[in-house]
Amino acid sequence: MEAMPTNRFLVLPLLLTLAAPAAAAPVARREVLPNGIVLLVAERPAIPIVAVRVLTRAGAAFDPSGRAGLATLTGAVLTRGTAKRTGPELDAAIEFVGGSLEAGAGRDNLSVSLRVLKKDLGLGLDLLAEVLLTPAFSQDEVARKVAEIKAGIKRSEEDPATVASRALARLVWPGHPYGLPVEGTLESMDRLTRDDVVGFWRAHARPDTTVVAVVGQVTVDEARREVLARLGGWRRPAAAPGRVPAAHPAPAPREETVARELTQATIMLGRQAIRQTDPDYFPLVVASYVLGGGSTSRLYTRVRDEAGLAYSIYSFVSPSRYGASFVAAAQTRTAEVPRVLGMVRDELGRMGREPVTARELDLAKAYLIGSFPLRLDTSGKVADFAAAVEELGLGLDYADRYRARIARVTAADVQRVAQKYFAPGTLDRVVVGRVP
Amino acid sequence: MTAMRTVRTLALLLPLLLLPATAARAGDGVLAATLDNGLRVLLLEDHRSPIVSFQVWYRVGSRNEARGATGIAHLLEHMMFKGTPAHGPRQFARIVEQNGGHDNAFTSQDVTAYYVDIAADRIDLVLELEADRMHNLLLDPKDIDSERQVVIEERRTRTEDDPGGFLGEEVGSIAFKAHPYGYPIIGWVEDLKRITPAEIRAFYRAYYVPNNAIVVAVGDFHAPELLEKITRRFGPIPRGPAPPPVLAVEPPQNGERRVVVRKQAQLPIVYLAWHAPNQRSADAPALEVLSTVLSGGRASRLYRHLIYERQLALEAGGDYNYFSLDPNLFWFWATPMPGKTPEELERALLAEMDRLKTEPVRDEELDRAKNQTEASFVFQADSVHRRASLLARFELIGDHALMDSFVGRIRTVTAADLMRVARTWFPPDRKTVGVLLPTP
Repeated sequence: MEAMPTNRFLVLPLLLTLAAPAAAAPVARREVLPNGIVLLVAERPAIPIVAVRVLTRAGAAFDPSGRAGLATLTGAVLTRGTAKRTGPELDAAIEFVGGSLEAGAGRDNLSVSLRVLKKDLGLGLDLLAEVLLTPAFSQDEVARKVAEIKAGIKRSEEDPATVASRALARLVWPGHPYGLPVEGTLESMDRLTRDDVVGFWRAHARPDTTVVAVVGQVTVDEARREVLARLGGWRRPAAAPGRVPAAHPAPAPREETVARELTQATIMLGRQAIRQTDPDYFPLVVASYVLGGGSTSRLYTRVRDEAGLAYSIYSFVSPSRYGASFVAAAQTRTAEVPRVLGMVRDELGRMGREPVTARELDLAKAYLIGSFPLRLDTSGKVADFAAAVEELGLGLDYADRYRARIARVTAADVQRVAQKYFAPGTLDRVVVGRVP
Repeated sequence: MTAMRTVRTLALLLPLLLLPATAARAGDGVLAATLDNGLRVLLLEDHRSPIVSFQVWYRVGSRNEARGATGIAHLLEHMMFKGTPAHGPRQFARIVEQNGGHDNAFTSQDVTAYYVDIAADRIDLVLELEADRMHNLLLDPKDIDSERQVVIEERRTRTEDDPGGFLGEEVGSIAFKAHPYGYPIIGWVEDLKRITPAEIRAFYRAYYVPNNAIVVAVGDFHAPELLEKITRRFGPIPRGPAPPPVLAVEPPQNGERRVVVRKQAQLPIVYLAWHAPNQRSADAPALEVLSTVLSGGRASRLYRHLIYERQLALEAGGDYNYFSLDPNLFWFWATPMPGKTPEELERALLAEMDRLKTEPVRDEELDRAKNQTEASFVFQADSVHRRASLLARFELIGDHALMDSFVGRIRTVTAADLMRVARTWFPPDRKTVGVLLPTP
């Protein structure tokens, strides 16, 4: 058997917007091309590779009613053929030079990622532009992807963390697109047609809601010339871009149990929260870090280190373009669910009842401010960060403002936001596992 | 407490006497040295970002475990974060976080590795912490008891409640009847419950010695200066007895082995494995290329044929562990699409293997696989963490400089080589098959 390393921690999704660079210089050079594309370029000349990220505002938040999964399907079919090449021909062309070209949809955006050796940048950008400007969306490929996505949904029902996240989103975001699974459902997938895909792409993939980040062994001039030559002719439609309805929480928190024959139960608590545009976001990030952010956090210390009740235990704030959520989660053996739930609720409440200690506050701030250089240490990570900051409308100097905002957070701020966002009586709750 | 203070005092008084026995900078820019106590040190300057990846790799993994005490290497890995007399429980993580660093560790069949990625100007702290826990670990019985519960929870997540992990463990355990590669890295739960603090302490004493470790750092530092600091911190740790060698040799497999497990799941899973040699064999580069031809990307055969053209599989993949210290498995896994059976999928996987024995791989496929391997090296060089890990991997199999010849070895592989290794290593009657059948 392959040596599967068993890490000490589960790897949490990288929250790009949690941190800020140490350097005062903006992370990338920004310019707006004539058709509205925002081009971001960061030169990293040492290694002969280039990473490109394209974000266009065509995520699952724009799935029409009853058509959950349409953005996911569109993203999945995007690299499966263009006017010039079939899907297998695209695969063969990019992989022959050891590169990769991937597309996929998230909540807010559809992203296309290219990674090539510098010498193959021309080829890589040719393929990227073909995919963006002349996707074929053939009937055959759409049908194939519908079947694969449905099978993937079925398969994901085996993963308790996925099942719990899906259920929690439904509770936290009633009536909002964020409450529906990005990948859709078995039922909604069955309704989707090629016409839906073509219509969705035409309506939502447009240069004036698109960010292109180019990072690596490339100059600003070269990147502009190469991108303009290929994407300069992409015309913006006359119609206004799509809108996403405002989110309203449910009037009272709700609970859901999903029965599964498992030895361990997955517990998730969550609620709507705030994003970077709200000044309270920064104390909230600090509060969540003290509560469940790292291996010195209160939850980790009490539930894992001292009581041995969990391997995976954490909390995080997840900001998106149209809303944010706060989540605290743990996995523990079935019999200990009440005890772990009690501990998590107790720690949530304590965050609001009493101020965090100076030591905890300093540690959280030092980590959040100091860990940034590690998050920008490869071309791919720089491209992800630059594109995300631009797309969220935070400005390329967000890094500096973030540092300053985190540095100003006081214990009183932390307590105030904890009272509001961690109040145990305001959190929705999901448990996946054996029902007692 | 005493032990730690001694180390520190020595370090202050005797820096000049502790210079490494040998130090040389190779053509690849790596400053390599072996300290008098046997600690191997590899340093590579990379000044692109003000960060450093500092890693300590111990030559110990589940491969070094005994029956009845499986999982001890990984349990010890967890205990390495539970403190020393000088740095109490949670201090390690706290100090790293306070300085904006990321730390973690992993245990594999062959190694246990610890890393800290951190701002380069904080490197002294990391040296202090890593040198301390190489020799002075607390191993408090109370901490061991609580941490064994954490590991059992980890096992629930990865194995008990994960159909793929569950089946993988069964397949591994029947594929090997003599060699410890058949043990699950995380350990059997019966062993995890039983292992005593005394056994963990003995395991730590036997394997966590400088002469069984490799220190690798890549990042924004001056290598000779860092070597001096490492020598000062790690040099006073006494050399230990050479750890016992792994003597087990897996005998040839006589006949097919098969395991079928039933478990609550949504879709079946099929595993297929053959014993294969490691990098010491002249066949290894061809096996590495073959693995890429079969499962490296969407243009690979398994994706193209089983997922795309025939829509038999939802997922299919495979792997070959070139770096394995002892001969290991060349293996495949696949999940059938709903409505397709594991039998159909197994037949299709076997047909792909048969085709490799009778038809030469096309030039385009061969060149693509080689280009993918070469490019992946360049991509990995973008990350100081990945660069350090790669150096350690090559050092483990003999010499970090082997990295320079690796791509060259891959480049010499021919279509005839692929056909020869497929015929040699994938006989139909020496495979191990695992099937997971879902119960509702």
